[in-house]
Amino acid sequence: MGVHGKSRRVCMLLGALLFGGLLLCVLLPKDEYSDSERRALASMPQLSAKAVASGRFMEDFEAYATDAFPFRDSFRALKALTADGIFLRADNHGIYETDGFLSKLEYPMNPASLQRAADRFHMICDTYLTEENRVFLSVIPDKNCFLAKESGHPCMDYAQFEREMARRADFAQYIRISDLLERDDYYRTDTHWRQERITDVAGRLAEAMGAVLSSDYELRTLEQDFYGVYHGQAALPLAPDSLCYLTGEAIGRCTAYDWQNERKIPVYDLARAQGKDPYELFLSGPLSLVTVENPDAPADRRLVIFRDSFASSLAPLLVSGYAKITLVDIRYIHPGSLGRLVDFEGCDVLFLYSTLVLNHSETVK
Amino acid sequence: MIFSSIPFLYYFLPLMLALYFACPKRMKNAALLLGSLIFYGWGEPKYVLLMAVSIAICYGFGLLTEKYRETGAGRLCCVASVAVSLSFLIYFKYTDFFLESFTAVTGIKTPLPNVALPIGISFYTFQLISYTIDVYRGEQAQRSILRLAAYIAMFPQLVAGPIVRYREISEQLSERTHSWELAALGVRRFVAGLAKKILLANQLGELVAAFQASGEKSVLFYWLYAAALMLQTYFDFSGYSDMAIGLGQIFGFRFSENFNYPYIAASITEFWRRWHISLGTWFRDYVYIPLGGNRVGRGRQLVNIFVVWFLTGFWHGAAWNFIAWGLCFALLLVVEKWWLLERIKRFRFLAHIYVLLLLLPSFVLFHAQSIQAAAADIGGLFGAGGVPLVSAEACYCLRSFFVVLLIGVAAATPFPCRIAERIGKTRVGGRLMDAAEPVVLAALLLVMTAYLVDGSFNPFLYFRF
Repeated sequence: MGVHGKSRRVCMLLGALLFGGLLLCVLLPKDEYSDSERRALASMPQLSAKAVASGRFMEDFEAYATDAFPFRDSFRALKALTADGIFLRADNHGIYETDGFLSKLEYPMNPASLQRAADRFHMICDTYLTEENRVFLSVIPDKNCFLAKESGHPCMDYAQFEREMARRADFAQYIRISDLLERDDYYRTDTHWRQERITDVAGRLAEAMGAVLSSDYELRTLEQDFYGVYHGQAALPLAPDSLCYLTGEAIGRCTAYDWQNERKIPVYDLARAQGKDPYELFLSGPLSLVTVENPDAPADRRLVIFRDSFASSLAPLLVSGYAKITLVDIRYIHPGSLGRLVDFEGCDVLFLYSTLVLNHSETVK
Repeated sequence: MIFSSIPFLYYFLPLMLALYFACPKRMKNAALLLGSLIFYGWGEPKYVLLMAVSIAICYGFGLLTEKYRETGAGRLCCVASVAVSLSFLIYFKYTDFFLESFTAVTGIKTPLPNVALPIGISFYTFQLISYTIDVYRGEQAQRSILRLAAYIAMFPQLVAGPIVRYREISEQLSERTHSWELAALGVRRFVAGLAKKILLANQLGELVAAFQASGEKSVLFYWLYAAALMLQTYFDFSGYSDMAIGLGQIFGFRFSENFNYPYIAASITEFWRRWHISLGTWFRDYVYIPLGGNRVGRGRQLVNIFVVWFLTGFWHGAAWNFIAWGLCFALLLVVEKWWLLERIKRFRFLAHIYVLLLLLPSFVLFHAQSIQAAAADIGGLFGAGGVPLVSAEACYCLRSFFVVLLIGVAAATPFPCRIAERIGKTRVGGRLMDAAEPVVLAALLLVMTAYLVDGSFNPFLYFRF
């Protein structure tokens, strides 16, 4: 083929891609929600003279055009594979993969954030608790603790993290659980730990707080695949996790109440497990105030857990030792309003937080 | 609108191409102008009017300058046109800087008007000035305001250059040919420029951002930062120039080159012959030579050089670090011109090292928020402030960006192109490359689209936990 033919071929091919892209952009139906990224996608902005004059239409259209691009997830996967396979980038948007496990970089330790969290916890103790309340603190290491160092990613000193947090929150008795955890105790594609592998953690916490737990659990596995939050963010073609939960007689008799929406909820919300974030199986996901009551436990055993989402899967394992567990997420409810919602009298109080939240405590109110 | 965006690539460009090539020859400039106004108005709707007024004034003064060229009135018209164009630039770009400097010097607080900078004003103002001066120097004034507007507002080079001189393009505005060969050259150039921008400059920008966000600085990190800045600036800017030149070719224009592998220069003098060539030659032809150039005594030459480089620095931005950056280059060029250049010619390898070692801090100064910040960052390169030699974050970034840096260094030299040319000249290699080229270009475009699509990645905060 001569120069003319070759040039023509180059122009035609690139032209076809651009015009084909335009046609697909215009003609294909648009998604409103990205399941993989777990967010609403930008919609086509309203065209008006005012919006055009202010430049808002163009700005919004750019977001729309990018979000609504055909085969968006496939393109995101192509980008992730290029970054990983050609540019050998060690992470993609801070998410990295090692041995089939996905994790998000969490580095460095932010002492100011730890102090802020400790100050908030202190404020709660000063406001609501008396000397009769026993106060405990436990820190859940994120997955990086077990993945980052070996894979050459920057890694916080988790032992130092725990020491720092225990020192700053010295009004609480520190319960160490990190030595009980390992990489396989976490989902491969999600942030969280696997409930079926943390019974020893529940046992350690209960023992330290003087509670006795039943160890009579029945393992159930959901049929559908579980693609955790990191799976969508990484956009890499990785195998899904399976989502399991532990149930038993004690758990079966428990009742849970969502005070935020004033409704009864199941301890294991199977409907939510079919939704956008299957981890919401555990106590219906992110809620500001939840109580779980166990009619079989001694009435004086009550526990208040200040927590993040990790506690949603842990709390059902503790209920056999308590008549009532109150779960408070002060990322969604201001601690100042707890006095009229939570009865702290005679309760044990556990601050149970992952390093992810403690290192970014600006999310705590 | 920017080239490296989905709206440009998959909405504007195909529609623009369809409109342009569907139009008869006599309507092509109108189509180009219409597209250019939409392109410009997309980001800056209110400043379309400013550009239109600038063009109209320049058009009028251009005709008057031509008419009275041989008289003092012609000179007056030329000066007036340049003054009007410059006054717009000075008002929009430098008002806040002047007031801030006035406050700093006198202590008298002056409220800042916070004038927003219209995109591309530095570039199109210089094109307007070049037009007026070229007309004054004998070039025929453009009779058609549409053609003049199409030249000034031409979207490929409107936002980030190259600064296309009127005399280079005046004939092409009225008479240009379109061919598959030229368009294919343009496509290749455009895709190459887009790859420079998206695959290299943007990734290097991530390294720069990682350094800036880090609280764990180290000497290694400072060097990585400086190297990334240097490469990012080059690939970003030359990538845009490549895209502009490529788009120009697709529309039948031949713009001058703006970059010629500047980092292989063996002197700072040579570097400036290879870097932002259109700006360098603009200042040479419209400032340095009219000031007397090299035809005056050493003292005057020295003044001329410093004036030109003061203006070059100031053109890049209304801040003292840009002025300092320009004056540093003036000093280096003077030293080379009168002493060093002859001596370093004998040590070519060392000369390359010398150039790179000087350019590295120069880009830190260029990008700094202030002179003090630049001094701190340049000091950091040499361990000032007690920063450690290495840090975990620096090692991680080196590992994560190693391939990008390596590709960047290689792509900043002509060697990959030379290798490709050699392979292309062999019989088998030539056939293979002919067959592979469209596939490679298409694959590159798809990968770059993937990077653009992924650029809107914005997970909801809750899902971190």
